[in-house]
Amino acid sequence: MSDEMLQKIEEIESFRARLVKGGGDKAIEKQHAAGKLTARERIEYLFDHGTFNEFDVFAKQLGRHYGLDKAEVPADGVVTGYGKINGRDAFVYSEDFTVIAGTFGEMHGRKVGKVIELAMKMGKPVIGINDSGGARVTEEMGALSQYGQLFFRHVRASGLVPQISLVMGPVAGGQAYSPALMDFIFMVENSSYMFIAGPPLVKAIVFEEVNEEQLGGPKMHATVSGVSDLTTADDKDCLERTKELLSYLPLNSGEMPPYVDTGDSPDRTSDALLEMIPTNPNKMYDVHKVIKEIVDNGQTFEIKKEFARNLVCCFARMNGHVVGIVANNPIYMAGALDYKASQKGARFIRFCNAFNIPLITLQDVPAFLIGTKSERDGIIRHGSKMLYAYAEANVPKLTVVLRKAYAGGYLAMCSKDLGADFVFELPTGEICLMGPEGAVNILFRKEIAASADPEATRRQYLDEFQEKFVNPTYSAGLQHVDDIIDPRKMRPKLIRALEVSMNKVDPLPKKKYGNMPI
Amino acid sequence: MAESVIVPMVGKVVEVHVKPGDHVSEDDPIITMEAMKTEMPLVAPTSGTIKEVRVSPGQMVEADDVVAIIE
Repeated sequence: MSDEMLQKIEEIESFRARLVKGGGDKAIEKQHAAGKLTARERIEYLFDHGTFNEFDVFAKQLGRHYGLDKAEVPADGVVTGYGKINGRDAFVYSEDFTVIAGTFGEMHGRKVGKVIELAMKMGKPVIGINDSGGARVTEEMGALSQYGQLFFRHVRASGLVPQISLVMGPVAGGQAYSPALMDFIFMVENSSYMFIAGPPLVKAIVFEEVNEEQLGGPKMHATVSGVSDLTTADDKDCLERTKELLSYLPLNSGEMPPYVDTGDSPDRTSDALLEMIPTNPNKMYDVHKVIKEIVDNGQTFEIKKEFARNLVCCFARMNGHVVGIVANNPIYMAGALDYKASQKGARFIRFCNAFNIPLITLQDVPAFLIGTKSERDGIIRHGSKMLYAYAEANVPKLTVVLRKAYAGGYLAMCSKDLGADFVFELPTGEICLMGPEGAVNILFRKEIAASADPEATRRQYLDEFQEKFVNPTYSAGLQHVDDIIDPRKMRPKLIRALEVSMNKVDPLPKKKYGNMPI
Repeated sequence: MAESVIVPMVGKVVEVHVKPGDHVSEDDPIITMEAMKTEMPLVAPTSGTIKEVRVSPGQMVEADDVVAIIE
């Protein structure tokens, strides 16, 4: 009796052993030669040792034409399951390029869909690893329909569980919209590409000669299109960075992000901050340095670092609590908000709000970017996204005015009027309706023109205007800021405000959803 | 491969820090420009040798203008 059982087990296990070999030794060798890990090696590296449980390894391909009905397609080219990453649960699907180029067939699609459905039901993050030649053409509508099902599920899961896409090979055609519908996209240097049509099709249809790297490589997507959130050096780096990102995120939108005792004192002050922000408003500095000085152990996780560098978006911890930081960076485009920065900021703010991550905003903004190009780029349409995202966010919102806070830029960087819970201003702060020079030129145009020494007169009016309206006691006197603070005490001040805001309740009016300008 | 140093926004060139033949490392300042009442550097997108400088101090520049080429 038990012999019979053992024999059955033996049969099943040897079948399983054949399936987990994927495309076999030769294909695995080829994958390694391309500098890539296999689908299963990636999973092994990502999950805590021995915690991964695969399902649907026995799933059979559903192709009925062109001889594929007789072929064995192990696991239909995608490995699916769940396991623990640093002790916390996550679901995964990992496309297997060794199995007919990881192409997306009907069963492949069903398996991926099942992963997302389970993740939604169990409230656990989804990690999607893409490495695929695209739709399996022989499966025709079966494959196309599953793309649709996949998009549908990504959208239904959006805002419920974090969805992270790791592009570790090609993702071409319709499938490129799968990562795009998730929360974050990581790409790997030299091995990953994303495009809705590859170079041969582009050449045939629109007569452009372009290679994969130029058309949809990691550099292009990180710096130009803004599709990618992070460029990583190789497969292992990509997986390590994924673990790091997950350490900042709750498992689902019903939970708080994980608290970690970082050992960095909440009372720590910093003399370096005295020197970091130039008192001359025409001088620039790198806001990264300010951020590193105030967060726990100087550690941050930056999103879209190379895209719209005039706005920095990163995760960090303050006394162990996860926060999302949004900061103008004067070193790039004077910190002005252009349409790209507005898109980047709004998306980050909305992610943080969906997953209960408090927002800390550091302002040094001369305005929304003005001029012909900016208007034609649609700064009105895109800039409004920042306003919308901050006004809609009901997590704790803390703001520090580091220096410039002019006009719409001031409002858009989480002012009191857009619902900031606490706003602090440094002594260098300049909150005003428009830049003081511009204001004086309009207000005293006649007086300046009539003067014997227009430049001296202009300077005199400017000094008076600065003294009267553009200083922190003026804005604090009108309750636009709660307090004027010593830059050295920025960290303790923010941490106390953050901790008192932790149980904030700010329900939105009951409605289906708002109509954000998109 | 040659890479261009590109102007992100309309403004004025204040200072040019390099001349053809200079070696630069990634993130070295190539020019300082003024825009939106702030001075800011345009930095090298990559390490290499300056092949060409196309602007001089005082000159107005527009978004997407090429100020220098690095090889």
